[in-house]
Amino acid sequence: MNPQRKGWLDWLSERLVLTEIFSLLVSYGFFHAELDSSKPPREALAEAMARPMPSYSAWPRVLGLAAVVLIGVEIFTGGLLTFYYSPTPEGAHASAATILSEVHFGGFVHQVHYWGAQLLLAILALRVLRFFLQRVYRAPRELVWVFASLLLLVAFHAELTGRILPWTGTAYWSGVRALEVVQTIPLYGGLVSFLSGTEGAVISELTLLRFYIFHVVLLPIAMLTLIYLHFSSIRRVGLDPSKVRASASDDGVTFRQHVVNLAILLTVLVAALVTLGVLAPRGLPAGAEPYATLPGVHPPWYLLAPFGFFEITASWLPRWLAGLVLLAATTAFVLVPFWARSLERRGGRLLLMVLAGVAVAVWLALTLYGTKVA
Amino acid sequence: MGVRSPSPGRLVWLLLLAPGAAAADEACVLCHPAERVLAAESIHASEGVGCTGCHGGDPASRDVAAAHRGGFQSLADRTGVPKSCAACHADLEQMRPYNLPVDQYAMYQTSQHGLSVAGGDERAAVCTDCHGVHDIRAPDHPRSPANPANLGATCGRCHGDRSLMERYGHDHELVERYESSVHGRAVAAGNVAAPTCVNCHGVHGATPPGVGDVGKVCGTCHVQARVAFLAGPHGTGLAAANLPECESCHSNHAIHPLDDADLGSLCAECHEGDSEAVQVGLKVRALIGAASEELDRAELLTLEAEKVPLDVEDHLARLGEARTYVTEAQTIVHAVSVEPVEEVTRRARSIGQEIQHELYSELDRTNAHIGLAIFWFYVLMTLVILFGYRRRLGRASGRR
Repeated sequence: MNPQRKGWLDWLSERLVLTEIFSLLVSYGFFHAELDSSKPPREALAEAMARPMPSYSAWPRVLGLAAVVLIGVEIFTGGLLTFYYSPTPEGAHASAATILSEVHFGGFVHQVHYWGAQLLLAILALRVLRFFLQRVYRAPRELVWVFASLLLLVAFHAELTGRILPWTGTAYWSGVRALEVVQTIPLYGGLVSFLSGTEGAVISELTLLRFYIFHVVLLPIAMLTLIYLHFSSIRRVGLDPSKVRASASDDGVTFRQHVVNLAILLTVLVAALVTLGVLAPRGLPAGAEPYATLPGVHPPWYLLAPFGFFEITASWLPRWLAGLVLLAATTAFVLVPFWARSLERRGGRLLLMVLAGVAVAVWLALTLYGTKVA
Repeated sequence: MGVRSPSPGRLVWLLLLAPGAAAADEACVLCHPAERVLAAESIHASEGVGCTGCHGGDPASRDVAAAHRGGFQSLADRTGVPKSCAACHADLEQMRPYNLPVDQYAMYQTSQHGLSVAGGDERAAVCTDCHGVHDIRAPDHPRSPANPANLGATCGRCHGDRSLMERYGHDHELVERYESSVHGRAVAAGNVAAPTCVNCHGVHGATPPGVGDVGKVCGTCHVQARVAFLAGPHGTGLAAANLPECESCHSNHAIHPLDDADLGSLCAECHEGDSEAVQVGLKVRALIGAASEELDRAELLTLEAEKVPLDVEDHLARLGEARTYVTEAQTIVHAVSVEPVEEVTRRARSIGQEIQHELYSELDRTNAHIGLAIFWFYVLMTLVILFGYRRRLGRASGRR
């Protein structure tokens, strides 16, 4: 390469610490190696591009990256929505209606935000399922599992705080139902009540504002932090259960190919979001009336099972004890790496699989029951 | 000079009288505490009318015999009550500050109640039967028996009493029937504008309207219906046959709103099944039905659009206007003529069609779908290029 000829990369490199920016992209899975800052940037980049991919992110292992892209889409579209949204009980529904009917592309941005959230939840849940089936929780991958499961739980919170914001009747009452479930959990329920200003599952003016702050500031920061820690752990230990450390791809895929894969993934994701937004637009039901209970409103789908559990046990199990069971189940889910291994050692893999199958079956049955009684 | 302390006895009844300061000096309370408590809640107490205002006597005396002297009247004889009330309530000078009418006593004397009382009938209603005895409240007070919300029960106390009504040969189920009627249910639901017994029968001059007058009574509220009715063939026909106007179709007391669907079958109750008259009924029914359906469809579409959300305030206002036309048609029906109904329902129908037409085009998502198709064309092109590039890269790395 002719050292005299300087391109835009060299121009930028003289003015910015490019390796820092590059490492930010690396942290969130867009690239998979640091730039060598001792070499000229063009050369370092070319070298990085030609390096083989680590096996954990080679095509078609894209769920993690898709999650990051979707979080990016959510932050971007959510940021646009905040321009017109007003987080007060008087203004929330009217501002949501304005966004949907009057603001240019407001309806479109809203649809993409909604469907992006649903896709994100589905992808995060699928990832946890995949980690379980491929046993990506055994040493040294305990933290990969813990961060992935926490990420899913935080994403549920983001969806819950977001669904109340349009202040429609269905949103309001499904939020109330959700809080009724959450507040029975010992300790955590009290913390939620304290933080969100709810008392006895009553959603007030204060709750709306605090949910808004959680939704647009605190939970996104929590998600970005968790995904960083999760990816950081993956970069150290990889995802291949047969190997202890992260290793290079066997099929010799280079970063350059990976970037093309990334572009394909982005295109497909955006196409999916746009299609869902246009073909299945979410309407805006009538505004919330806190003094008139809307019949037939369900809690959000991920809380239907706990809701059903509370309904079934209402007659013979004290509420706090039912809440304790829910807390224990959630904790057991996050801490799978720390008990599953000894269980596997004692009863073999079959026992764990049966146990997981029973858990999923119970979850589905309770969800079905929760749908019926709600 | 020291302050004279009140005697203990004086203190006791001062305390008892504390709620109603107006009659503080009356000693009646010493023997009649229960009546005093009731009277303290009355509108009379707040206007300074005490026991002696109606009963006379000497309020300052604590001697039983002396207290009941000097124009005292017990009013135990009910027939004397109206006259006693009239002493003030028929006096223009005394009623002027309250802007109360003074013809109530005169009207009462013309009523069935008043005529019976004048004939010495002790059972007929006097003022206190409807207004309360000692605890007389203004008629707009919620607990006043003369309040419109309580009137059914008040009249029903006598007119729902079977043994009492049988003496006079009256039906004792009228009030019950009224309470099941459209009027009674509206009053029960809190509609203070809905008619109670007195709106048709008169207030103080309560007398049942004669057969020929029922229509006029109904017409005081249902003005347009009566105008239409009188202009139509039924108006002259029923009058000639000396049949009641409204009552013939709507009955009395248990007045139920007639459904549009009843129009044809109702006509056939008097007219031949295949007569022209029944045909008119069926035509009118079809016209109103068609307009209502058109508006129902428009309303459903408006609700759908509201959820999108589209701005439907204007549509809702026009829908309200069109609904008024249908109501007008239901009133014009009383003229039993097709043309006026046709004209009004046409207006309602065309508004309904207009709203549907506008909302259909606003709800139309064809453009969005065309846009989506174009978008997918570019997505597929991009994917083809990206996959092609990916394959080339793969081949290049494979050669290495």
